[in-house]
Amino acid sequence: MTLDRAIDAMPAATPLRLRLEGWGTPITLLVVWLLLIAATGLYRPDFFAHQTVLAIAFTMSITGVLAIGQGIIGISGGFIDLSQPACLILSGLVAVRLSEAGLPLAVVFAGAIIVGMAWGALNAAIVVAAKLNPVIVTLATNFIGLAALYLVFQLAQVPNDSEIYHMGRARFLGLPVIWWPMLVLIVIVGYLVHYTRFGRRMTAVGGNRFAAKARGISLKTTRFATFMAAGGFVGFAAVLFASAAGPFNPSSAITLQLSVIAAVILAGISLAGGRGSFWMLLLSVGFLSTIPTSLVFFGLSSDNQSIFQGTLLMIAVAIDGYRARRGSP
Amino acid sequence: MSDTPMTDTAASRAAQPFVLPHHPIRDALTGSVASIAFTFIVVIAVGLIWIGPKFVSFGNVSIVGTFLIVPLIVGAFAGFALLAGVVDLSIGTIVGISAAIFAYFILHQWGVLPAAGITLGVCLVIGGLNALAIVRFGADPIAATLGMLTALRGITWVLCGNQRMIPAFDIDYFTLINRQVLGLPLFFLVAILLTLIAAVIVARTRLGRHLQAVGGDDRAAARAGISVQGVRTAALLLSAVGGGLGGIIYVGQLGSAAGATGLGLEFQVYAALMIGGYSILRGGVGNPIGGALGLLAVAGVSNILDLKAISPYYVNIIVGLLLLAAVLLDRFRGGDTYE
Repeated sequence: MTLDRAIDAMPAATPLRLRLEGWGTPITLLVVWLLLIAATGLYRPDFFAHQTVLAIAFTMSITGVLAIGQGIIGISGGFIDLSQPACLILSGLVAVRLSEAGLPLAVVFAGAIIVGMAWGALNAAIVVAAKLNPVIVTLATNFIGLAALYLVFQLAQVPNDSEIYHMGRARFLGLPVIWWPMLVLIVIVGYLVHYTRFGRRMTAVGGNRFAAKARGISLKTTRFATFMAAGGFVGFAAVLFASAAGPFNPSSAITLQLSVIAAVILAGISLAGGRGSFWMLLLSVGFLSTIPTSLVFFGLSSDNQSIFQGTLLMIAVAIDGYRARRGSP
Repeated sequence: MSDTPMTDTAASRAAQPFVLPHHPIRDALTGSVASIAFTFIVVIAVGLIWIGPKFVSFGNVSIVGTFLIVPLIVGAFAGFALLAGVVDLSIGTIVGISAAIFAYFILHQWGVLPAAGITLGVCLVIGGLNALAIVRFGADPIAATLGMLTALRGITWVLCGNQRMIPAFDIDYFTLINRQVLGLPLFFLVAILLTLIAAVIVARTRLGRHLQAVGGDDRAAARAGISVQGVRTAALLLSAVGGGLGGIIYVGQLGSAAGATGLGLEFQVYAALMIGGYSILRGGVGNPIGGALGLLAVAGVSNILDLKAISPYYVNIIVGLLLLAAVLLDRFRGGDTYE
């Protein structure tokens, strides 16, 4: 019990220097984001318009919820879930089919989330039973899943004038309705990961799974729980995706994958596990979602977007690796 | 302090289980190439039974071989990076960007050799940047090269401009790349020759042994006096050069470069290499011949489904299942266990 408490309790006193050090990443990210906004605004004053905010918020909502799922996998030591595109499209298809049947929005959400969790459970079952690395397992299930989805459908779209269709186009307090659940979920998950027993166990498993196991944390249960939770978030994101994305085919989600991984790494959630704050996702997702809109205002085509995102990702990973090598938090 | 190295080795020696000594025949039957060779033979057998003798006819092999030239060359070079334990996911887009650069200089009448030289030079710079992030700063190879992949794809799209492609037709070069020798594409034979050379390098040269040592256990390799950073940098440079050669050959095959050239090639190549005995997560395992057989087996499966007019999506399902089976087999053979 005392050992258990030791892992569940926050360290009582942290030296001030360390506490301040933890703020380096968020401040840097915020400053870079504000600089980007200021530069675009100076170049093109019409950047400061409601349309811009709407465009950025739409991009943020789906990427943000997916990043929660990816972050959970990362922080618990599962590295990367490469099967998010397949899971998103599968859950999105379920959402479309349920709304085509005229079922209420709550059932659509429930159906998509359950399917997402089932997908996560399938991944976890292979990882746990065969003791294989999640990266390769999810690479393979993504391959299989997308191919199987192509056999099932070519193009899907939520029916016009359905509840889910209107949700994707509605506004609340000047922002898209689908942006708000993303905000709420990131805040709640950030709290749960840091301040609940399960959240800290998850982080402990990611930090050092043998130490966590020695302290009586079941790795299998944690693995199943994290993969199913992550799948549930992908299922939720799938409803937002289906409501706002228009017609989609099984390949539509592949481009999202990279922004999501970039957001998680920029947020400082270590892919090696055991470290990171989900609240930071708000900053990194916001920053990454501003880039495409800014580039349009600078008169650059959207092709340039991936140059910036890729370079940023590489720099972020290099800094992450450099810090890990130095051994500082 | 009582744990001197002396007692340490003595204790571990006492706990050593009995290990079968190496024997060439037993190694060949249980080694990493054995299972992929078996899979390859099964694919050929299924093809012969289901399609008939025309499955192995020169005409059919020539068609499959033409599509395999670039993956085989890219795979042979990328295998060096896998062996050293630094997977390079950016190879697919290196193929794309080098095709675009090569096509650009061909279009502007620079001639084939100068254009190829410049292209390979750019590839060395890209490989150097990968090495800088991974080897110098200790970035995670998968995430860092994923960033490189994205950035290069963006640059490729921008280079290709609004037409989405660069036409680059040089009649002499086109004829050379698409020449047939003994009923097979010349460069398919070149690719197989390159694979064999790579296999000899891995098995018989100092560089090959160093690659395996660094990938297998980098600390032990460092203690043995091998420059881990140097070997990994060399491996990443080689893998980038392989991508460059792939792009240059693509332009010869297609007569142009497009923004989407090489899109998704990395997954096609690495899935096949993993089926062939390599691992993208731990170095030191795999063999160029196994990797090439992996590519041939996957191409054989897709060719069978093609000839039977079955939806090509089944290929990905089969590849995914083969991949899981191969990784599981690798674990039974002593690969990393994940809990």
